[in-house]
Amino acid sequence: MNRILALIKMDLSITFGLSAIRHKIRNRNDMIQMIILGIALLSLIPAYLMMVSGLSRIYYAYLNIGQKSMFLLTGILACQVIILFLGILYVMSKYYFSNDLNILVPLPLKPKEIIGAKFISLLIYEYITTLPLLLPFIIIYGVNENANILYWIYSIIILVFLPVIPLSISSIIVMLFMKYTNIRGKKDLLRTIGYIALIIVMIAFQLKMQNLAQRAIDNEDFLYKIITDSTILVRSLGIVFPPSMWAALSLSNLTSISGFLYILLFVIASIAVFYIMLFLSDRVFFQGLIGNLEVSTSGRKARVKSSDFQRQSPSCIAIAMKEVRVLLRTPVYLMNSIGGVVLMPVLMVISFFIEGEESLSMIKMLLETNQRIVNLIGVGFIVVLGFLNSVCCTTFSREGKNMWIQRVLPVSTKDQIIGRILSSMFVQVIGIMVLYGSMAYIRVLTLEGALIIAVLGLLGSIPVGELGMIIDAYRPLLNWDNPQKAMKQNLNVIICMGIGGLYVFGAGFLIYKLMDTVDLLVIYGIAAAIFIVSSLILYKPLEKIIEMRFNSLE
Amino acid sequence: MLPLIYINNERGGMMLKLQNLSKTYGKGSVKAVDNVSLEIRPGEIFGFLGPNGAGKTTTIKMIVGLLKPDSGKIYLDNIDVWENPMEAKSRISFVPDTPEVYDKLKGIEYLNFIADIYGIPKDIRQERIEKYLDIFELRNAVGDIIGSYSHGMKQKLVLISALIHDPKLFILDEPMVGLDPKSSFHLKEIMRERCNEGKIVFFSTHVLEVAEKLCDRIAIINKGKIVALGTMDELRRYSEEKESLENIFLELTANE
Repeated sequence: MNRILALIKMDLSITFGLSAIRHKIRNRNDMIQMIILGIALLSLIPAYLMMVSGLSRIYYAYLNIGQKSMFLLTGILACQVIILFLGILYVMSKYYFSNDLNILVPLPLKPKEIIGAKFISLLIYEYITTLPLLLPFIIIYGVNENANILYWIYSIIILVFLPVIPLSISSIIVMLFMKYTNIRGKKDLLRTIGYIALIIVMIAFQLKMQNLAQRAIDNEDFLYKIITDSTILVRSLGIVFPPSMWAALSLSNLTSISGFLYILLFVIASIAVFYIMLFLSDRVFFQGLIGNLEVSTSGRKARVKSSDFQRQSPSCIAIAMKEVRVLLRTPVYLMNSIGGVVLMPVLMVISFFIEGEESLSMIKMLLETNQRIVNLIGVGFIVVLGFLNSVCCTTFSREGKNMWIQRVLPVSTKDQIIGRILSSMFVQVIGIMVLYGSMAYIRVLTLEGALIIAVLGLLGSIPVGELGMIIDAYRPLLNWDNPQKAMKQNLNVIICMGIGGLYVFGAGFLIYKLMDTVDLLVIYGIAAAIFIVSSLILYKPLEKIIEMRFNSLE
Repeated sequence: MLPLIYINNERGGMMLKLQNLSKTYGKGSVKAVDNVSLEIRPGEIFGFLGPNGAGKTTTIKMIVGLLKPDSGKIYLDNIDVWENPMEAKSRISFVPDTPEVYDKLKGIEYLNFIADIYGIPKDIRQERIEKYLDIFELRNAVGDIIGSYSHGMKQKLVLISALIHDPKLFILDEPMVGLDPKSSFHLKEIMRERCNEGKIVFFSTHVLEVAEKLCDRIAIINKGKIVALGTMDELRRYSEEKESLENIFLELTANE
């Protein structure tokens, strides 16, 4: 037990950077950054208050149809489903790709001790992130109901056990996934494809369940039941994730014995799933992990051949090729860049697919009459992918300890910029292809549309790419030993999404305003002009910042 | 304060010149390099010696463009390295003490990348790369990704990549650390060969024997200051009874 406590303590200190924060407070520059971060967080408060007041309106809506327990289900379900999905990401990086594994694995620890400690540390992280979401639901319901002490006790129990089942399920899925994809040679590729497939399957499953629940409600005598049974909605929709339903029902049936039974069920199920996960971890964790960091060699095939020597390419192409190769061969980069641009259009189609043929034909009808607007939406979609793909806003951070190579080589800043933009374009082209496929599936793709989306989409990706590079050149995150940190845990990505989002919103708003007065062909021209002009405007500052940073880094 | 030993070398035009170079870390509290001036001529193997933290790597980083000097100038063939970095960098190559290279690239891809950046045509790059792959016995590994290489193999790869464009100034930071005896023998031969062609080799080291046998001239740096400069003979003449470089080194870098 002591060993697990020690592990948990160390893990928490690393995860939340406790020692690092203490160190940072002493440093003036870091202090300023933390203050800015604090202000940014404070600025979220009004939005949060608005959300809370919106929630209380939802409560009254449910109250009016006599289904107030549905309000609790909404909150609990939302939290648990979010934990389940994000859990897959967290668990994967925490169990299999974190740095402490090199230290922990050789120590005389059982897999379930390592996993147990990592699980608890994730659990604490989940408490911190889900509390602001769930607490308003609990409080609004409790206050309006004049809830007694038992309600608050049950609530605390629910809060404590809430992340256990979803996080355990994510852990089980990830551990099995890692075990069966731990195949020598093609591991990275297999895992990336499998990972994307996994997310698609899970989302499809989720949507299908929702669809089933919806069907149950559409039933004719359902309206009658709603009047007679105050938990019918919860029990129909709760099928999506039964533990959430148990938690909600325990709170809404406080006074009866069934309330107690539901909370008992919730707690026992949580503990049981957790133990199943631990039991499994002892058997499969190391099988997925060992050899994870090993790199295979190809033996004699690696011998150099005459064809290996390429003809000379310009510097910018060499940079772009190098960027693309590293991007394709590093799973974390691949998932976050290409994974994103593939996933988004596919998800769009899946949601139509699940909704069934009727909604598909409805959307088709709606879109067919507005083909050119469809094209503009497509362009906007690609431009959004331009910053969501995170290629440019982490391009220098990804260099990490190899940054010295870029700095000692005689590469002009212009070549650096062009090469890195080109690597983002490579990802964008894949996104465009997948978008074409998705659009063809819902039958709204035309030749004209394809052309417009490709040309304007790529043109629009340049300024957002430049924007990302400005941010990343200004504050590159070079000191990492795990590529996760360069892309997934890089604040630059979020900053870029914020500023990029504003840019797209601004340009989109302008075009939307013009739509009524100007011919659409002219609008295409205006969009192109906006993209070109903003690319040119951003180029100079970008060049300056790169030159400055390449000189001043230490 | 120990006397500096200046020498007069009459071997043609100047190539590398450091002028009053200074660099401080941590808001001026630590002077890593303190007013260093050096002139290194074509055809010289120049050894840069000093204890840990003396300022060797800092000086080298300033020459190759990784660390901006607080004051002072660096000229290579009369080109100011920090004013015209592109021109200077195309004449320099640098081998750092820790070979950090792109783990996800294949060895040959990295070499092609470097050759592209220096604009080396296919036939020349093939000839040079194959020559050095044979010397460093890396021919059978170069199709694998660099992540599978050992420390020494990575170091050899960086060495090869640094030789592809036949640089006028070859700078190495602790080059012998991590190399097997055979490779370090070959490296010394390559260094000698380059000097015979009138190019400069500038390297830092802890290994005094290497410096003693290999270098035309040696500078000893301590606490950011050059405390001795000259040929091996001149250094010996300065302190006759001390004989070995080790004794000279120990005396010069002793704490006052």
